[in-house]
Amino acid sequence: MSKRAVDMTFQAIYTLTDIRILLRETAPSHEFDIHQEAQLVRLLENLERQVGSLKQEMLK
Amino acid sequence: MKCGSGIEARQVDELFINIDPIQAGGRLTADAMKAIIAYGDGYSVCDNCRKPNRLDYISKPPIAEFHKDVASWLNMAAVRTVPGARRGFQAVAQTYVNKGDPVLLTSLSHYTEFLAVEGAGGIAREIPANDQNLVTPDAAAEKIEAVKKEYGRAPVLAFIDHVDYQYGNIHDVAGITKVAHQYDIPIVYNGAYTVGILPVDGRALGVDFVVGSGHKSMAAPAPSGILAATAEREKEVFRTTAIVGDVTNRKFGIKEPEIMGCTLMGATLIGMMASFPHVKQRTKHFDRELANHRIVMDALLSIEGTKCLSEYSRKHTMTRIDTIASFDKVAESHKKRGYYLQSALEERGITGVIPGATKVWKFNTYGMTTKQAEHLGRSFEAIARENGIAVKGAD
Repeated sequence: MSKRAVDMTFQAIYTLTDIRILLRETAPSHEFDIHQEAQLVRLLENLERQVGSLKQEMLK
Repeated sequence: MKCGSGIEARQVDELFINIDPIQAGGRLTADAMKAIIAYGDGYSVCDNCRKPNRLDYISKPPIAEFHKDVASWLNMAAVRTVPGARRGFQAVAQTYVNKGDPVLLTSLSHYTEFLAVEGAGGIAREIPANDQNLVTPDAAAEKIEAVKKEYGRAPVLAFIDHVDYQYGNIHDVAGITKVAHQYDIPIVYNGAYTVGILPVDGRALGVDFVVGSGHKSMAAPAPSGILAATAEREKEVFRTTAIVGDVTNRKFGIKEPEIMGCTLMGATLIGMMASFPHVKQRTKHFDRELANHRIVMDALLSIEGTKCLSEYSRKHTMTRIDTIASFDKVAESHKKRGYYLQSALEERGITGVIPGATKVWKFNTYGMTTKQAEHLGRSFEAIARENGIAVKGAD
């Protein structure tokens, strides 16, 4: 197992934490304005990339 | 969803607008949540603890630097982290109060200040608040004189809350301090609702100690807080240990008895540290918080019979409201009785009001977005209208 796998695990949790904050800021409706939507898209893309890297590192 | 055996994952702030009066300023920043994930283990901040082996000397993570930064931010000489403001009160009380000593509190003081005095053997003497629920320098002078008459000496210490927990009113700490210092009474500034919320300058206020609450107002996990002291008082409250074991002849270096050595470790400290840069910034923008609070207050006060029991216009985002002649009237005949208000608020995604409370209750809008404040204000008006209470300016 690599340091990179550990880093990616933390990164993914941190990205999810940023999504959690977005949920808090928009409670209770969770309706996003244009900036929040763009932020969410960016966070989800990061998350996919981080989980992808994690798969590569841990399942190789 | 469970996060442990029998422990439901708490999702209150993700699903609701939370107006609980004591929770608002302690909600974590994203950085605090992230730091806690990395430093949740018990002794996590101690990996690089080197001689002289004390928490506030650790440089990795930058705990030493954090202590200096907080002291400078509060314009005080020295800071220690403590497990909650109450432990700060306790450290000061144990230093200055002996059995039978009179100690000055106020009629709006938090109970933990009383307990700190009691624990040290002191006797509580309260400065009464006036009919506007404000504690004034004149009332402080009068009470000190009364104590002198009763005990033949002035109180040995005074605890003054800058913003009290009951009304969220702002009291003239600088004025009271000026009076107390004429009698050589050291002042403990209780900043549980200000440190981390508003700018606080200990030197400008003239106080001897500043106590802040991490979990109430510094976006930190519980229990956490800070105790700051002036250069003069630092040597007294942060004195180092002198005890020696008679069998082992052991001594304990530079550990401080009032702080119990290294008190605030792991997740609590790292959470407070991670939030600190954001907390420093947010105190500069309290006007935005007051603007959001005004939106909600305007809505509440447009509901016939509703009164603000706190000083008005508001200078803080925690407010005590009287709805005896509005929401409580509905409770008399509503099938859910007093619980209808909480239930109607929850249907609209709002939580934090004490279940069943329709008479006198408190709320806090700190940290809300403007959109959330507008939703909250509209919700109060809508609940009033639905229950036949007149709303000013409504169609």
